[in-house]
Amino acid sequence: MIRLDNIVATYTTQRGQVNAVDGVTLEIPDSIVMGIAGESGCGKSTLMKVLYGDIGFPLSLSSGSVDYGLVNERGEPVTTDNIRSEWFRHISYIPQSSMSSLNPVVRIRDQFVDFPATAGRKKEVLAQVRDFVQKLGLPPESIDAYPHQLSGGMRQRIMVAMATFFQPEIILADEPTTALDVVVQKSILLLLLDLQKEMRNTIMLVSHDMGVHYQITDKMLIMYAAKVVEYADTDDIFQSPLHPYTLMLTNSLPTIGDERARRGLPGSPPSLWEPQVGCRFAARCPIAADRCRQEEPPLTEYQRGHFSACHFAGDVAALKESMQAGPSLSEVAHDTSKLMLDLEADR
Amino acid sequence: MKLLQYIIQRFVMYFLVLFIGITITFFLPRLMPSDPINNYISQVQARAGQSLSTEATQQLRDQLAELYGLKGDLFTQYTSYLARVARFDFGPSFTYYPEPVIDILMDALPWTAGLLITTTLLAWLIGNSIGLIAGYFNKRRWAGALEVVGIILYPIPYYILALVVILIFAYWLALFPLSPTFLPGPMSWSKTVSILYNSFLPALTLVLAGFGWNVLAMKALAVATKEDAYVQFARLKGTTDRTRMTNYVFRNAMLPQITALVLSLGFIFNGAIQTEVIFSYPGIGMTMRAAAGNGDYNLLYGSIILTIISVATAALVLDLIYPLFDPRIRLGG
Repeated sequence: MIRLDNIVATYTTQRGQVNAVDGVTLEIPDSIVMGIAGESGCGKSTLMKVLYGDIGFPLSLSSGSVDYGLVNERGEPVTTDNIRSEWFRHISYIPQSSMSSLNPVVRIRDQFVDFPATAGRKKEVLAQVRDFVQKLGLPPESIDAYPHQLSGGMRQRIMVAMATFFQPEIILADEPTTALDVVVQKSILLLLLDLQKEMRNTIMLVSHDMGVHYQITDKMLIMYAAKVVEYADTDDIFQSPLHPYTLMLTNSLPTIGDERARRGLPGSPPSLWEPQVGCRFAARCPIAADRCRQEEPPLTEYQRGHFSACHFAGDVAALKESMQAGPSLSEVAHDTSKLMLDLEADR
Repeated sequence: MKLLQYIIQRFVMYFLVLFIGITITFFLPRLMPSDPINNYISQVQARAGQSLSTEATQQLRDQLAELYGLKGDLFTQYTSYLARVARFDFGPSFTYYPEPVIDILMDALPWTAGLLITTTLLAWLIGNSIGLIAGYFNKRRWAGALEVVGIILYPIPYYILALVVILIFAYWLALFPLSPTFLPGPMSWSKTVSILYNSFLPALTLVLAGFGWNVLAMKALAVATKEDAYVQFARLKGTTDRTRMTNYVFRNAMLPQITALVLSLGFIFNGAIQTEVIFSYPGIGMTMRAAAGNGDYNLLYGSIILTIISVATAALVLDLIYPLFDPRIRLGG
């Protein structure tokens, strides 16, 4: 189990300091696929950096630490302080763009064996790598190629191979399929999922694509303006959300057979430079009351394993009902054709 | 197959460039309004007064035309010129008559090539190493001090740098001779030592003048490259600074620097003039200057064609070795 204890991650800039992650306390069970969602700037990438232990100027940890539930070679518990020496042994990382994440002038096999863990036994490791990439659907000689000789999908498979080769307990994937077309996207995600089932590691997946989250994650973390607003099993997030922001996020996802037009979420998140009072979502929330603007809602376990940070979590179900009463697509289409007729008449 | 095609293309380009360069050298002087034969004859006539008969003048004119390769119409001149250049036959030197120009150039060539190739390579190696370290560790304060070396050395004009070096090492410290004296005779151990000793000062000035630019260029390249996604990913892989600096940053940042190195090797004969004149060094630069000063057309022609050949050859060598460093050219992409 990974425990995050009141994580506050701060960026130091010329304008001053800003908390990109502001007080996140979480317990993540082992061997699950956890999705992290939220709009740009909500702090999900910063949270990933903190989880990976990649903390260095301008990012610093103002409070809290991560306990990974692992022990290192010297028998000490692995925490934020010593996670760096476990990189790609116990925790690995799949970057967003495989295109630019491989050294263009060095053969892929040489980039497979420049980890500190492979020093001194490169030959032996390379033989294993050849077998391993074959299992991942790549020809064994693909590691002899230079990055530009492989397709985008093959390169991303190479990145997945690197991240899983040492069988780490934790894999962080920051939008691993964003740069790929949907067909390749699906195959990469399925590959990742297969490997996860076999190796039983924990995957943290950041994605903007709610469809991806719905299909492959077990649990989901919804972030808004540096805070966790909801944390629950993925099914609960989509079926019975307990936070209005989650509802509006999932509501943007079209489903087959549903003819209603999708509604966007007006407004934008608050500037983190300003001091925050009350609920950070209050300004955009359809059910916000005076209490929300004064008192910050704590992350509370409303149902077993279902956390939400909303004073009116109980009212979200009713909100969901009301939102489903929107105009259907055919009505909108009808309106449009009427508009066209009016325009014709004007001419 | 693709590689073979690439190599053939480069060679075709090489000979095309040589041909154009040599052709321009042929036509350019002929566009000048003055005629070297008439100039010479009027000089002779001025000296000889009226004692020169018309027949003698005509005979002299024919002989000079033969000597300068100015016989026949323009096309005949041009084809015989090309034939002679292809055999490296530039005729006799006027100043050192009857020694052939090619012999004089071949005597001077090892001196210039030895001095300038060595110093250009040294300046490249030292400059790029310092620039790489300064760029890779650009957030550290001591790395800024490394860059200052480049900033200070780069803008100093070469002749001032050379004079300062002479002043310090040849005059105040008197460690090295002001102008070189080389042992005569065949190569021997003591002759090698004397060459190295006498070449030290010109070499020092060339390295100092050359490496500042390399420091600045490499630093800028390294700073940009180390922010690239693949270097950042390598950092997240847990690779050492040393691995990242050499295998990731340097392997990529050196590509434009190799271009600069090979091109500067092509231009060594031009850079040689200043150095060789200041240090009285017996290379191509001195020969060129003497040829220009004495109106030794053949020698001048020879040196210019040598320069054309060396620049074109450098570009060819660059094209041929570049694929070794950049697989994207070698293997297409």
